[in-house]
Amino acid sequence: MIAVRKGKTKITIDYSKCGPHGDTDPRECTKCLRQCDRPVFHLHHVIVNGDNPWDPSYWQVTPIYTSQCTRCMRCVEVCPVNAITVSW
Amino acid sequence: MNARNYQKELAEETNAVDHLNEILKVFDRSGVTPVYGMKFAGVGYKLQTPIIGRVVKRIINGVLHNEGPKRKHIGVDGHFGQVLPIEDASYIIENLAAEPLTLNYCVCRYMCRGEKDARCIIFGVMSEIADKIPRYIPENVKRPMDREETTRYLESFSEEGLVSTIWFHPVPYITAICSCENPDCMGIRMRQDYDIGLLYKAEYVVQLNPDLCEGLGDCVSACQFGALSFSPTKNMVNVDLDKCYGCGNCRNVCQHNALTLVPRNDIKQVAGRY
Repeated sequence: MIAVRKGKTKITIDYSKCGPHGDTDPRECTKCLRQCDRPVFHLHHVIVNGDNPWDPSYWQVTPIYTSQCTRCMRCVEVCPVNAITVSW
Repeated sequence: MNARNYQKELAEETNAVDHLNEILKVFDRSGVTPVYGMKFAGVGYKLQTPIIGRVVKRIINGVLHNEGPKRKHIGVDGHFGQVLPIEDASYIIENLAAEPLTLNYCVCRYMCRGEKDARCIIFGVMSEIADKIPRYIPENVKRPMDREETTRYLESFSEEGLVSTIWFHPVPYITAICSCENPDCMGIRMRQDYDIGLLYKAEYVVQLNPDLCEGLGDCVSACQFGALSFSPTKNMVNVDLDKCYGCGNCRNVCQHNALTLVPRNDIKQVAGRY
């Protein structure tokens, strides 16, 4: 079942605040992942040259299922570094 | 229940080692890795596009069910699963699954919730490859486990209300029994929200005996798929057979044995619709 909403939801994450090169490690925070009722975000590793693919050290959060976002804005409120923006 | 699907010879025949090496290396990147040049992010909007959406869905289903010799070991080629009732899952663990059996952290839950939860029972060749990934090996769990202990784990997951699912890796080699929930499981989501054949319904479907149902409603919260609802007028539950995946969780919590699993093909309404 896909809820009908007008327009596409656009979610952007500022990786300079959260992610491999930012201050926050998403693996320790996970607040946006846990708040979302329809898990829109995915936590995944980033392939960097020379990194061991079996034990990667760079992780980030990416919005994947944006079409299921209910626009409740809880992820924006809960993010400690204000890295998430939701627009439509 | 074909015992051959669990054996090592089949693993060699289907080149499962190469497949699993490739797929497990990037398993937690499966949401962002382009497959055949198509990015997965925003797949919902792609599927909503009138004509293109249908083409995209056909391509995805084709990739998932690819059994041909030209199968490339990228993405999720030949990887899909089916829901199982707990008796069948226990039977497979006790009799059919290939040694060694191990319990691993669920990758889906880690991707979706950032939480490490030891739920996935994997066996055969996949266990050996999973040993390479230290972040998904749980602490305080024996590796490898014996069959009795594994069955106990599986039954405790079922009591928690999780759905047992069995997975091909790659089809027809069977390597895992997971305990999933909606919507954290990638497979359930794909099927439930986008109607992509990553997960199939069980061989069974639930039937309600109206004489025995006393309207306690425990089953409604046990259903992961929204197939049951409570009707105050009838003081009884309503069953939506089209939504029923046949996992049997509702039957396990029913105190009056009002719900039973019957073979799917015996019910005309849902026969052959997996």
